[in-house]
Amino acid sequence: MGLLNNTMPANAVTNAVDGAVNWGRKSSLWPMTFGIACCAIEMMAVFAATYDLDRFGAGVPRATPRQSDLIIVPGTVNAKMAVRVKRLYDQMAEPRYVIAMGACVCGGGPYAKWGYNTVKGVHKIIPVDIFIPGCPPRPEALLDGILKLRENISRDDVFRRRRDTAQTLDSAYST
Amino acid sequence: MEALEMYTTDERSDVYTEELKLNLGPQHPSTHGVLRVELKMDGEIITDSRCDIGYLHRCAEKIGENVTYLQFTPYTDRMDYLASMNNNLAWSLTVEKLMGLEVPERAQWLRMICSELNRIASHLIAFGTYGIDIGANTPFFYAFRERESIMQLLERPSGARMLYNYIQPGGVRRDVDDNWIGDVLAFCDEFEKRWAEYNTLLSNNYIFIKRTANIGILTQSMALDYGCTGPVLRGSGVRWDLRRDVPYLEPYDEVDFDVPVGEGTHGALGDCWDRYWVRMREMMESIRIIRQGCAKLPGGEVMTKKQTSMYKSPMKAAEGAHAYMRCENPRGELAFYAVSEGGTSPIRLRARAPSFCNLAVLDQLLPGTMLGDGVAIIGSLDIVLGEVDR
Amino acid sequence: MGMNEREIHALLTASGIDGVGGLEQPDLDPTVVLQPSALVEVMTLLRDDERLAMEMLHCVTAVDREDRVDVVYHVCSFARHHALTLRTSVAKPDDADESWHPEVPSVASVYAAADWHEREQWDLLGVHFTGHPDLRRLLLPPEWIGHPLRKDYVYPSEHGGIPLELDAVPIYERDEREDTPPVAEPRPAGTPLNQPPSAPSARPHAGGKAPAKKEGEG
Repeated sequence: MGLLNNTMPANAVTNAVDGAVNWGRKSSLWPMTFGIACCAIEMMAVFAATYDLDRFGAGVPRATPRQSDLIIVPGTVNAKMAVRVKRLYDQMAEPRYVIAMGACVCGGGPYAKWGYNTVKGVHKIIPVDIFIPGCPPRPEALLDGILKLRENISRDDVFRRRRDTAQTLDSAYST
Repeated sequence: MEALEMYTTDERSDVYTEELKLNLGPQHPSTHGVLRVELKMDGEIITDSRCDIGYLHRCAEKIGENVTYLQFTPYTDRMDYLASMNNNLAWSLTVEKLMGLEVPERAQWLRMICSELNRIASHLIAFGTYGIDIGANTPFFYAFRERESIMQLLERPSGARMLYNYIQPGGVRRDVDDNWIGDVLAFCDEFEKRWAEYNTLLSNNYIFIKRTANIGILTQSMALDYGCTGPVLRGSGVRWDLRRDVPYLEPYDEVDFDVPVGEGTHGALGDCWDRYWVRMREMMESIRIIRQGCAKLPGGEVMTKKQTSMYKSPMKAAEGAHAYMRCENPRGELAFYAVSEGGTSPIRLRARAPSFCNLAVLDQLLPGTMLGDGVAIIGSLDIVLGEVDR
Repeated sequence: MGMNEREIHALLTASGIDGVGGLEQPDLDPTVVLQPSALVEVMTLLRDDERLAMEMLHCVTAVDREDRVDVVYHVCSFARHHALTLRTSVAKPDDADESWHPEVPSVASVYAAADWHEREQWDLLGVHFTGHPDLRRLLLPPEWIGHPLRKDYVYPSEHGGIPLELDAVPIYERDEREDTPPVAEPRPAGTPLNQPPSAPSARPHAGGKAPAKKEGEG
């Protein structure tokens, strides 16, 4: 957090601040309305009434990446779209979280073998926090992924710079 | 064009305006997918538009050349992911035509019932997301409530909520359970009440009519010239429906249903409201078809014997054969063209997607309208980028 | 109702247009074979003749065969309830490679639907439609090289910096200063297939130092 970054070891004050800030961040995740393909329809089902996402605080989808802190990437990313996905990710302000929803963004999915312009997993383009496999994953699976993301956020360190790679999650356990 | 007349600038004013280049998409809250339209605007009015597609190009046609005929069925699901049953049906019919397969009667009736259920589900999304485009958020939740019922019904025979892979060349994958027909009929009763709700909510809403009537007027000749089919063509007054005129499933010959067309109720013929209203009435016609289908469903096998061994030894078509089969999807006419040279996969597979052809007309409809109306026009064409880009 | 394909074919032959060939596959899916030179005239006749009245061009497909490239057109009529398939071919020369583009006249002046269909066949198969108002790529990025649906197409490993291979290194992990290869080393035998990218053995090590080889890896 600016001037206080990496200046002190973990202590009672930082833990308390961590707890409060992480609680705030996880309870009001603002996802971006970003739908690419079939998984977007299941994501819309999660926003809708039966699998209500609003009860987790994540029900205010923002159209602009500048105001959102969660990007759920549903649907195959191909070469043309990957440039835009990277641009959208770069426009998000930190702390930002990425959920890769669906088999296509986890590793290419059904288009991995014969697709000439599909990117085999969006983790080749942007660092991903949660992978949700499935084609398409059930809405319950997406909710499970968001709950896991909330658990991970609650283990974040506010006073240490959150490095934007998937290594962050390992290091959170290994310190 | 009423809107333009209200807003022409005064010639004596010294306001200096420049042309604005605005980029709509590929990420935008209108949930039609990754479509990009490059707009040139004069203030609020669009003067030129160019569609840029390909953001969801997933090489389906190349994949079709490398997998067997049966293995391609899941890829057809993912093309128009809102009408998976109908896509599966079009591909299965093409393969059956190519190979001369006979489909058992029960399978044909089940195919019809599942296709019509999926048609309702697809039109519900068109209804819900069109509300969001216009600015009304509630129809979306109502539409998805109904969609949940349909998805649970279709999950029982096929195993999946959305991308079914149920209708396969030779029949359907497995039979339905004993209570399924009763539950489908219960859904039909429930849906008829809800449909009346949708009309009070959106269709007859004064603001909705103001936003969609006289907008995006598509003439019959332009629709035919650009290859538009489905509700887009029927909204312009052409009473053509493959289910009635070139029935691709025998049961369609034995059930009674109407083909709704646009009538210029609230504005000119072929405007956005007409296309929307055609979809709404098609939902009720599908309910009629489903009720008759459930009443007349015969017993018997659901998959032809020749196909059940397909998992061990993939079937081949005759050398040099090619076949083209058209099918009425919720968005228009889907057609597959398969060319075989005797192998287990076709050497060329072409999917003629309805949204691809319907979208071509957008560059003609957008210039001259205001940006908000442009969004309404895109919504009324009801495109799915999965099948535009394949 | 409407005419069947044999009657339509008879009408076309009787019209005296030079280049109308025979009727292929009469039992499965009858197709009229044409010379490319006759294409625009036949399409105009199909659209304008009263008895045929083919208002809509349904689909344009190009097929890359061993010795020739076919272009198949499907037209249909709503007023007369009939449809027709037409095929025209361009023979492949012996030295045909990725720079060879078969030339076929464009029917965009007859049916506006042909605009996007022909652009897509140019994009994916490299068929050049002469007379098309704006023949450029439709589905693939404009700077893409090659025509993917050709049989001799070689899959690219990356495009404009975006990695397209299954084992590619993520772009945020490439170290520009070091000579990181774009494709990771092959998986050692016994490594589970669904290893997440955060597992140490799946990533090449940035920083230039060779990784300390653990037993069983490498």
